[in-house]
Amino acid sequence: MNNVTLEDIPLITLVGPPNSGKTTLFNYLSGKNYKTVNYPGATVEYSVSRIQKKFNLDANILDSPGIVSLVPNSPDEKVSIEALYSHPRLGIPDIVIVTADASQLSRHLLLVKQLIESKFTVIVALTMTDLLQRKGYDISEEYLSKKLNCNVVKINGRTGNGIDELIRATEIELSKNKANKNTEPVMFNSSISLNELLSVYKEIEDIERAVVFEINGHSCEPNLLGANKKLNELSKQLNNIPKNKIDQTTLKIDKILLHKYWGLISFFIIMALTFTSIFWFAQPLMNLVDQFFGFLSTETISLIGDNWLGNFIANGVIGGTGAVLIFVPQIAILFLILGILEDTGYLARGAMLIDQPLSKIGLNGRSFVPMLSGFACAIPAIMATRTIPNKRERLLTIFIIPLLSCSARLPVYALLLAFLFPMDRSWIAGLVLAGIYIFSIVSSTVVASVINKFSSKILKEEDNSSFILELPTYRIPKLKVVATNTYHSSMTYVKKAGTVILMLSVVIWFLTYFPNYNPKVETNNLTKEKAEQLISSERLSNSYAADLGKFIQPVMRPIGLDWRVGVSLIPTFAAREVFVSSLALIFRATGDNGALQTSILKEMRQAQITGTNQKLFTTATIIGLIIYFIFALQCISTLAISRKETGSWRIPIMQLVLFTSMAYVFAFLAVNGLRMLGIS
Amino acid sequence: MKTAAELKFGERGVINSIDGSHPSSRRILEVGFTPGQEIELLSISAFNDPLAFSVRGTIIAIRKNEADCIKLL
Ligand SMILES: Nc1nc2c(ncn2[C@@H]2O[C@H](COP(=O)(O)OP(=O)(O)OP(=O)(O)O)[C@@H](O)[C@H]2O)c(=O)[nH]1
Ligand SMILES: [Mg+2]
Repeated sequence: MNNVTLEDIPLITLVGPPNSGKTTLFNYLSGKNYKTVNYPGATVEYSVSRIQKKFNLDANILDSPGIVSLVPNSPDEKVSIEALYSHPRLGIPDIVIVTADASQLSRHLLLVKQLIESKFTVIVALTMTDLLQRKGYDISEEYLSKKLNCNVVKINGRTGNGIDELIRATEIELSKNKANKNTEPVMFNSSISLNELLSVYKEIEDIERAVVFEINGHSCEPNLLGANKKLNELSKQLNNIPKNKIDQTTLKIDKILLHKYWGLISFFIIMALTFTSIFWFAQPLMNLVDQFFGFLSTETISLIGDNWLGNFIANGVIGGTGAVLIFVPQIAILFLILGILEDTGYLARGAMLIDQPLSKIGLNGRSFVPMLSGFACAIPAIMATRTIPNKRERLLTIFIIPLLSCSARLPVYALLLAFLFPMDRSWIAGLVLAGIYIFSIVSSTVVASVINKFSSKILKEEDNSSFILELPTYRIPKLKVVATNTYHSSMTYVKKAGTVILMLSVVIWFLTYFPNYNPKVETNNLTKEKAEQLISSERLSNSYAADLGKFIQPVMRPIGLDWRVGVSLIPTFAAREVFVSSLALIFRATGDNGALQTSILKEMRQAQITGTNQKLFTTATIIGLIIYFIFALQCISTLAISRKETGSWRIPIMQLVLFTSMAYVFAFLAVNGLRMLGIS
Repeated sequence: MKTAAELKFGERGVINSIDGSHPSSRRILEVGFTPGQEIELLSISAFNDPLAFSVRGTIIAIRKNEADCIKLL
């Protein structure tokens, strides 16, 4: 899509209070799959898309982060205000569709009022009417439309109800706009007094009283769209009814989950279950995938032959990408579990529960959700910090996010843990994995508190620290929503395996295979297996990778490893997952004995430090490697996003230097400490 | 005058005014804590802060010092 068409067709901008259903509606209209979450502050960047052909409306639609009012309070809210008034590329929207949660009308009409006052062409899309009906109420859209003097349409972006009416209303407004050149919106006066704000609320309360009615008896159909007189009577009657009652189920669940003591205990149980289950649920699936790649690579060799081409396809391509792809089950389950957690509405509670401890170390309760999504990937997590209004707290959150173990590290941990705990003890591996996650949380908070204490130089901004967060109604996670999110996140991982990781694998394969790809060795008296081993180790020790390795060897020895692991670590700066591919390639895992991972592990168990008969991978060196991966900042994209979001190179460079040196030093201390304790 | 921060667990109160000198006061108003509204203290977190109130049919968590600028009748 080029800029010209973007500007030629009308622009419809979606705005609305947080968690009111903007992204859900946007996805429905555009056919895209942006993330929807039952947490106020899911969207932090605008996105534009063409409305799908089937709706017969040629226009662009823009989704924006949630805003409470036109006076922004945090960076994500500024994105929305800028998209409304001064979008550099798209200009001013032709139509503004405001989503308003029908079950919270009196709160959500504030923004609607401000937008109408600012002379935007407004259409109100009432969402969550299903929730309001569950409470036993409904809204008369006709009457609300009259009161506000703008179009009002009830919609449900999850089922598609009312979307046709919304499109029709949009078309009508667009044609009206064409007839009389639409007026420029006026800047909202951000210094209106609090009293004026209160008088707007007075109006809103009057409106609410007039348009919300109780669903009488059994009929769910509003039977009162008749004369105004009748409506007025009804509204009088409603004055005494507490229509703002909270969802009863939510209150009951919160009795436990927000209980003074049980709340915290449940918090830890929920977090622990989330992380342990990744390993446990994935195990059975994983074996299947593992067998499959082992089979594929063995078949290739027998089909093409044991020459350089067969080796290239079996090892370089299938082995390299397969080593990463066998962890798709883990990745999918991680996203599935995070997705379920996000869709229930629990996240906002978690944020509230740990606001106090986090604020002690210079973070904020609102840091919780970005930190949690850091377990998936640091990039969206760093962007998600835009919901933190206080600049200092936001910068500190950005600073520590790379320390949280992202999903790219999961394959590495899974492989290394499988080395430490063979199949029959894999339930321990699940617990240890949870331990690694908890360790990464603890170490990130320690780093945060140290930086918060000592360096007012790094983070200068002092501002009002605040925590005001809506706790949304609990919902049963929509399977379809969670499944699509999981599918797309897993596909991103698969695509990465098919592109970046494939490319790097091919490079590594080349470096480890050439120039001496057909070494002359004496194999007369050896078994076939022994001979192959000798050939491949001879080939590797004369390869380009070995030349490169000579420089790395001195750095690797102190942490008990050798150049082969060092060479495997270099490409991890492009993608951490490549570590498992590199190991598979360098240690010549062939998948002979059925499964790929089993084969990698077998080769790793046999590997000796070059020139000695000391084992390369031991309990100590594996723990050292895990610790290295917990701390090291090996991701160029993370540095780039950190630069973008903090506005300078200072913080990303400090992150890179600090975290990578911490990684090395702690790995060194762990390996040598363990050895002193007698654990080799 | 009693403030929202002084409510007991499960206690209700009606808002009289919002202390406009607090830097968060505008946001507190914008999310729905306005004079005349009845609020209820629904939850106190394990560390005594923040507090969660029901207001206008929803639950909103705010810090204690922010609840302190919500004056009750
Ligand atoms: N019951 C019900 N749930 C809805 C409806 N529309 C959206 N949701 C759910 O409400 C939650 C929030 O929806 P989103 O589309 O992410 O809301 P948003 O306005 O984009 O939120 P932010 O990006 O955080 O501002 C999700 O869990 C949706 O599945 C609706 O009409 N009825
Ligand atoms: Mg959104």
